Amino acid sequence: MKNEFIKNWDTQLKKGLLPFFVLKALETKECYGYELIQTLKDTFGIDVTESTIYPLLVRLMKDNLLVHKWIEQTSGIPRKYYYISPEGKANLAEMKQTIEEVIIKIKGQ
Amino acid sequence: MKPIEFKNQASQRVYNDYISRCKRVIQILSAEDQKECMMEVNSYIYEYVNNHQNDDELTPLLNILERLGAPEVTLKEVVAAKKINQAVRTFNLKHLIQALLLNLRNGVAYIVLFILTLTLVCFPVAIIMKIIDPVKTGLWVGKGHFAFGQIKQQEGISEVLGNFFIPVVIILCIALYFLIIFLLKIIKTKKS
Repeated sequence: MKNEFIKNWDTQLKKGLLPFFVLKALETKECYGYELIQTLKDTFGIDVTESTIYPLLVRLMKDNLLVHKWIEQTSGIPRKYYYISPEGKANLAEMKQTIEEVIIKIKGQ
Repeated sequence: MKPIEFKNQASQRVYNDYISRCKRVIQILSAEDQKECMMEVNSYIYEYVNNHQNDDELTPLLNILERLGAPEVTLKEVVAAKKINQAVRTFNLKHLIQALLLNLRNGVAYIVLFILTLTLVCFPVAIIMKIIDPVKTGLWVGKGHFAFGQIKQQEGISEVLGNFFIPVVIILCIALYFLIIFLLKIIKTKKS
């Protein structure tokens, strides 16, 4: 069983990696908010709430890493689909590189 | 934004109350940004409730509202980010002051910008003071003295701008305003 320190560290680590996971999830397919939350849970085992993902998506949009498009639905409630931008892809590649370097260092110990 | 319709009256009231709170928080934004925010919040609620349908309509609604959190907290960062965009886009002093106030906690750069904006607001006051009391208002220079605005007259210092005070202050106002917008754009780009 994880102790309190490890639990906090685990939470902080996942929080720090969240922008990476969001970009990674959107690298292969566009998603709307709810779908993205499910993808993060199913693919990366990360359980995020809407209160975390919404401001993060706004921040990533502000930084030009994502673009969006509203798609009308038969329900009358449109979905906001997020797509990764070319700048987002370039940043994702750099983030991957950094993570790989960290892993190599950890394994080298 | 198309409101979600609930069969249960209690659910509808809870939903309406949450939407009203969201609207209050984002009312500082432009009509377009408000619409976008509300559509997004509405979409989160609808998709969650639609994917958690059971006999009890209220439970998934309460769950998603809990997951979304208090609008005053969740939408704070969203409002701050959108307000900066609006200030840069519109060149409007009111939006600029609101954006800087909302972002004051986001770093020293915004505090510096806010001080510059306060200075900008003081310049028109100096112009009014010059019209009301031209003798005591101006740019004062003397041995070891440098003052801008209204001062008590002292020996050894003199006003150097004279009739040029008002035009110079107007030029300074315009220059400072564009400097603030320019700095704001740089901060935005650097953060990207």
